[in-house]
Amino acid sequence: MTQLKMINKLFIVFFFFCFSSQIIGQNITISGVVKDLISGESIPGVTVLEKNTYNGVFTDFNGNYSITTSSTSPVLLFSFIGYIKQEITIESASSTESKVININFKLDVAGLEEAVVMGYGNQERSKISGSVATIGTKEITSLPVLRTEQALQGRTSGVQVSQNSGQPGSTQSIRIRGTGSLNNSEPLFVVDGIPSFGIDYLNASDIESITVLKDAASAAIYGARGGNGVILVTTKKGRKNQKAQIQYDTYYGMQEPSKYMSLLNAEEYAILMNESRSAAGYPPYSDLLSPEDLGEGTHWQKEIFERAPIMNHAFNFTTGTESSSTAVGGSYFVQDGIIGGEKSQFERYTFRISSTQDGSDRFRMGQNINFTNLNRNALGENNEFATPVVRALNMDPVTPVTRPDGSFAYSNFIDSDIANPANQIANTFDNWTTNRFVGSAFAEYDILHNLSYKSTFSADLSLGSQKIFMPTFDLGIGYNDPNRPAYEWRETNVLIQVENKYTNWQWENLVSYDQDLENGNKLGIIAGYSALYNEYSNLVGVRDSLATNDPDQAFLNNSINSAEQAPQSSGGISQSAFLSTFIRTNYEIGDQWSFSGTVRRDGSSKFGENNRYGVFPSFSAAFNLTELPWVIEKDWIEFVKLRGSWGRNGNADGIGNFDYTSIIYNGLNYTFGTDQQIVNGAGPVNTSNPDLKWETVEQTNVGVDIDLFQGKLNMVCDYFVKNTNDMLAVVPVPGVVGFNPSATNVASAKNSGIELEVSYKNYDNPINYSLGGNISFIKNEVTGLGEGGQPISSGNVFGAGDFVSYTEIGMPIAYFYGYETGGIFQTNDEAEANTSQPNAQAGDVIFVDQNADGMIDGEDKVMIGNPHPDFTYAMNCEVKYKGFDLSVFLQGSQGNDIYNGVFRYDLNTTNLPISALERWTGEGSTNEYPRISHSDPNQNNRVSDRFVEDGSYFRIKNLQIGYTLNNTTSKKIGASSLRIYLSAQNLLTLTNYSGLDPEIGSRGTLEISIDRGFYPSPRIFMGGLNVSF
Amino acid sequence: MKQIITYSSIIFALIISLVSCKKDFLDINPLVGSTEANFYQNEDDAISATIACYNNLQQEVSPLQGLGGLAPHFRWYFGDVVSDDTDKGGSGDGDEPDLLKFESFQGTSDSKLVLGEWQTAYKGIAYCNIALENIPGIDMDSDTKVMLLGEIRFIRAYWYFNLTTMFGGVPIIDQLLAPSEYQQAKSTAEQTWSFIEEDLSQAMLSLPSRSERPLSETGRANWGAAASLLLKSYVYQEKWVDAMAVADEIYNSGEYFLDLNYANIFTSLGENGSGSIWEIQYMNGSGGNWGNQLEGTFTNVFQRARGQFGGYGFNIPTQNLVDEFEDGDPRLSASIFQVGDLMGDRGPFTLEATGMPHLYYCKKYFNTAAEESASLGDPNPNGLANDRVIRYADVLLLRAEAAYHTGATGVALEMINEVRSRARGGDLAILPDVTAGGPYLLEAIYHERRVELGLEGHRFFDIVRQNRGQQILGDEGFMSGIHELFPIPLAEISLSGGLLIQNPGY
Repeated sequence: MTQLKMINKLFIVFFFFCFSSQIIGQNITISGVVKDLISGESIPGVTVLEKNTYNGVFTDFNGNYSITTSSTSPVLLFSFIGYIKQEITIESASSTESKVININFKLDVAGLEEAVVMGYGNQERSKISGSVATIGTKEITSLPVLRTEQALQGRTSGVQVSQNSGQPGSTQSIRIRGTGSLNNSEPLFVVDGIPSFGIDYLNASDIESITVLKDAASAAIYGARGGNGVILVTTKKGRKNQKAQIQYDTYYGMQEPSKYMSLLNAEEYAILMNESRSAAGYPPYSDLLSPEDLGEGTHWQKEIFERAPIMNHAFNFTTGTESSSTAVGGSYFVQDGIIGGEKSQFERYTFRISSTQDGSDRFRMGQNINFTNLNRNALGENNEFATPVVRALNMDPVTPVTRPDGSFAYSNFIDSDIANPANQIANTFDNWTTNRFVGSAFAEYDILHNLSYKSTFSADLSLGSQKIFMPTFDLGIGYNDPNRPAYEWRETNVLIQVENKYTNWQWENLVSYDQDLENGNKLGIIAGYSALYNEYSNLVGVRDSLATNDPDQAFLNNSINSAEQAPQSSGGISQSAFLSTFIRTNYEIGDQWSFSGTVRRDGSSKFGENNRYGVFPSFSAAFNLTELPWVIEKDWIEFVKLRGSWGRNGNADGIGNFDYTSIIYNGLNYTFGTDQQIVNGAGPVNTSNPDLKWETVEQTNVGVDIDLFQGKLNMVCDYFVKNTNDMLAVVPVPGVVGFNPSATNVASAKNSGIELEVSYKNYDNPINYSLGGNISFIKNEVTGLGEGGQPISSGNVFGAGDFVSYTEIGMPIAYFYGYETGGIFQTNDEAEANTSQPNAQAGDVIFVDQNADGMIDGEDKVMIGNPHPDFTYAMNCEVKYKGFDLSVFLQGSQGNDIYNGVFRYDLNTTNLPISALERWTGEGSTNEYPRISHSDPNQNNRVSDRFVEDGSYFRIKNLQIGYTLNNTTSKKIGASSLRIYLSAQNLLTLTNYSGLDPEIGSRGTLEISIDRGFYPSPRIFMGGLNVSF
Repeated sequence: MKQIITYSSIIFALIISLVSCKKDFLDINPLVGSTEANFYQNEDDAISATIACYNNLQQEVSPLQGLGGLAPHFRWYFGDVVSDDTDKGGSGDGDEPDLLKFESFQGTSDSKLVLGEWQTAYKGIAYCNIALENIPGIDMDSDTKVMLLGEIRFIRAYWYFNLTTMFGGVPIIDQLLAPSEYQQAKSTAEQTWSFIEEDLSQAMLSLPSRSERPLSETGRANWGAAASLLLKSYVYQEKWVDAMAVADEIYNSGEYFLDLNYANIFTSLGENGSGSIWEIQYMNGSGGNWGNQLEGTFTNVFQRARGQFGGYGFNIPTQNLVDEFEDGDPRLSASIFQVGDLMGDRGPFTLEATGMPHLYYCKKYFNTAAEESASLGDPNPNGLANDRVIRYADVLLLRAEAAYHTGATGVALEMINEVRSRARGGDLAILPDVTAGGPYLLEAIYHERRVELGLEGHRFFDIVRQNRGQQILGDEGFMSGIHELFPIPLAEISLSGGLLIQNPGY
């Protein structure tokens, strides 16, 4: 027995020797240490790869490596992020020799070799031929905000981020290179290679970098979803052979309102109200007979705004071994609202694990798991009916907040939907809770050393619930107070509960091929296939008359109303699917030329049979001038690259899942019978459109990248033209058709512009500083609205009693459209002489009769404002000296107009801005503000340029001072670095806009920059700590 | 080179193998709602399609197609406010400014009011057309089918009646339109009236009478409703002989009786009473909102006083209307609130309580607070008052008018005195019978219509059809030849590619 075993062993050993003699016979062992050229510190985790093989190692914790190569003259590649790669050819040596090669890495200041995350792979910055911008983790985390999208604001040209509300947790509206569509203009988010439904589940400190793909060529790989640009987010991962690093960041801050609108006080209000009533022939209010006694009255804005805290804790852990890497992160964030405090609070927990494992030389796999819990209490916002901001601005200052007995007071002058906002906040219970799981797993196998196959599966599951509880309340004095306005009491309490579920899975398969050709050129091909499935379902339950008014006991089963009508439930489901194939080819000629071409074919269930698939090609080229003789001799020019691209992408995200067909809905009910039985009716709502198809975005881009002075000065300039064709628009059909028209692909729009980015970095001196700025000029124009070109009106503002925005051919999307004013009638004779305004008298507004037809009507409306800015800009500056660092971030927008729709002119007794004191009181008193009166037959408050204001602003967005303790001190507590800082956000806003906040986003694509009681963004003072172990 | 080909073929093979596996992955059918292919199959579908036609009758505040936004466009806006019966009201001149312009006959074609009315009517017509197209092919009980088709025809005629009394001749659409047919010209008023008469005659043949229907189907169209609308159609065209024939039929059918107590008609208990011929049903179903009324009506809140009564304060009766009532006529207090009256359980009517200087408010579409408690959604769209479109008293007075014009003075006197007798309610000291003939009788009929049917949306249309526009409304700006009709919406004219011609004077 033992003999057999012995022979077996010998066999095995012999085999091993034979086999490995191939290797051992010609082995060379090379070892050494890799260090940073300037600081002399050794660098762990550096990749040492034997070219054209699988043979690779990483430097260990001390920067040492040892690699055994199989050929006699191997070529070794040394690479590490942030440093310039080195390639060392080793002349043939005898097999027994061991060589020592030490490497000194030089920092890649200009970032030319930085591997930029593109779609499906990385590319060196210097070789990129599209228009791409990256934002690093430091810039992302320097601005402490909940929504990571806000960190993109002002960081790169061409990207315009505006908030849709300052309320904690509210969404942002992002536009890359202008508003490209009437339906959906939001870009696509891709997280770690997987298209994602928003990034609100990520904490800013989880993010390593963000790449914005601005032009068609770079976004083309995302085909039909890349039409509005793509934002690639890469989360932090561990690195191989990395010593465990722990990072803890925390901040605590206090938010406060940065501005109050100037309104009338109680005395001024009384004077104006009395004047207004007598002008219309009504007797004055008995309560307002002596205005002087009323004094200041109630400052409603101060009553609803308060200081509110904001706090964040985040920790990150990364580590790596030779064959695996791990990153773990978690965070807790909470932000109270400056209106309503906890009633407007946002709270979020996140946890993530990201890991990779190497199975062998050829196989690796990885997983990303994210779990997020979001909890949001919300107040109504941005509508002119029943939101706290609008109520606070319109409520009369004579009414106190509370009566002497502590109960909330109601107004004796205003009825309708302007009610006591403090009471509204106290009685709002609107809570959203979301639990979201996003996970993915990939496996990658190298079929050959330059051909690999990767398969990724990801799932996104979001479970949301919303609970709205409306308790009973009564602001009346005593029981059944007859003077109490209708909105100041609620008789029955109501509970609405919504459960919704959103699931999404994606499966992607990718094949990559890289080949270095003999003539020194490089070829890279990737080809892929992906499938995506979305499902949304919801369930709503409503009951009234709950047994108690206690919000904690608000559950549907507590209802005591057993009548049939009260319980209401509804629920539905909707699905969509997506299928794509794509191929991208990169070709580099030496260091001078690089080309890239992409073709992607997408199919979606949202489109009719006729147009289910779309093909999206693109092409780009870059020419690197750096090696040209006339450039080389100028040693102050480090790098110059010209690039151009053209491409077609699609846009499908704004389209409903079943818009191509006509669905017959139930629920068109009626009642019959003396006992009033509800019966069900069914019918179609829209016409169908089987030709429904993709919106196509075609973009041409030329740009230049210049690095000067050893990479210290960097400039990027781009010019682009973006045409959106087959844009979906619901084109009005004649009323005789009867059914609502469905969207058809008939419209088109054009965005064009210039972007410029400049930055200067100087890290050499004891003071190192960097300055940067960017500016974008974007022009937006609608070029087609279907046959007949019917314009679209949108943005109905109740105070004006009319639509305020207009979209028509040749003009920017959703510009402001109304009457032009031409002064005030000073005398009755003047008013009578003007026959186009038959109801006018002295003190009324003169409207310009544009077409001189003797009538003021719809045909006299003209452009009165443009919500799109002429240009947007941002500047940042950072200075570091010894342990101190100072950074300033400024941001601004110029030329954007705002329609101020805050005041409810349809109600005669609301409060007014302080400018109302300038009203016309007699001949010659003013030529700007009309007389004030309860009767307005001239419609002085119709939509006109009186309410369009310049919304240009300049903001000190962030100012931060920090101090990093020196090494010895921090090492005492075991930390590798410790930094404390103080920071102020929105420190100063310079603007001429009279409202609370000039940065007003959109409510849908066709309502831009209309202020309906915008929840403003706060000024925040905070202090924080960054510690690494 | 060979390498590249080899590798490329490997890549292609991989891709093709994966692509071919899921071809029907993109075929997803909606799970909520049905598509046209699998609807209109059985009797339930036919009934549902018919109910959808009724559903459109409840639309008072319409989403404006193509513009976004909402436009209220009640029949009483045009019938009462534009006439001398009421003033607009509201919170002030800025509230429904378009209506203010129409009130002084300065309304323009770009107004949302006429657009809302036009679009809603044609939407109602389209639902009728799609049902009329699909129901005949369904395999179901033939009696039910005939009845359903009759109801749908009646509803379609009702929409065209509204359209033609507002706009004169309008496009006649009797089937679903293909995109190439979207642009339509209008027909003449005569053609439109013929179309209405045809639909109503058909409906009369198909519909059961009110007494033949069980109580659970109260509110469905019936023979009497179709006949009464046909009567009105004849009267509007001054076809007095035809009108008389139909009126006689209705009168002699014994289907309808005047309610004994006039004031009772407009309470919630008086809905669908013995004198009710055609009522649009509303109920307080709660849960409605501005975009979707569900089963409630907005008329209640629109006509209710402001201030602590929580209404919007429209449709303010004028002194002129109040003066029209004879002394002691109990219909005055049944129709109009006066200062000092109790507004149901909502409190006494004082000028301080309303915060407005108006002395009168409408009473016919008033709900008490108890009737209107709606827990869910906005309380405003949940009014429960049915819209009394056609009442027996209206039919009697139309018969009187037709009798007068065909020389049957005796019948005319009989009719008008029947109405007065009910109003009198046994109190012989008031409202003496009318005895005289000639022009005085006509004036008496006109007067009786105004006080019997006041604030029900008839006045302006009556004045116009009686050719008294210039005489009564001339001071307010009415110009003969122009203001008998409302302007066709400007948006519709542009969308028709010029085929629609605007009414004269606009």
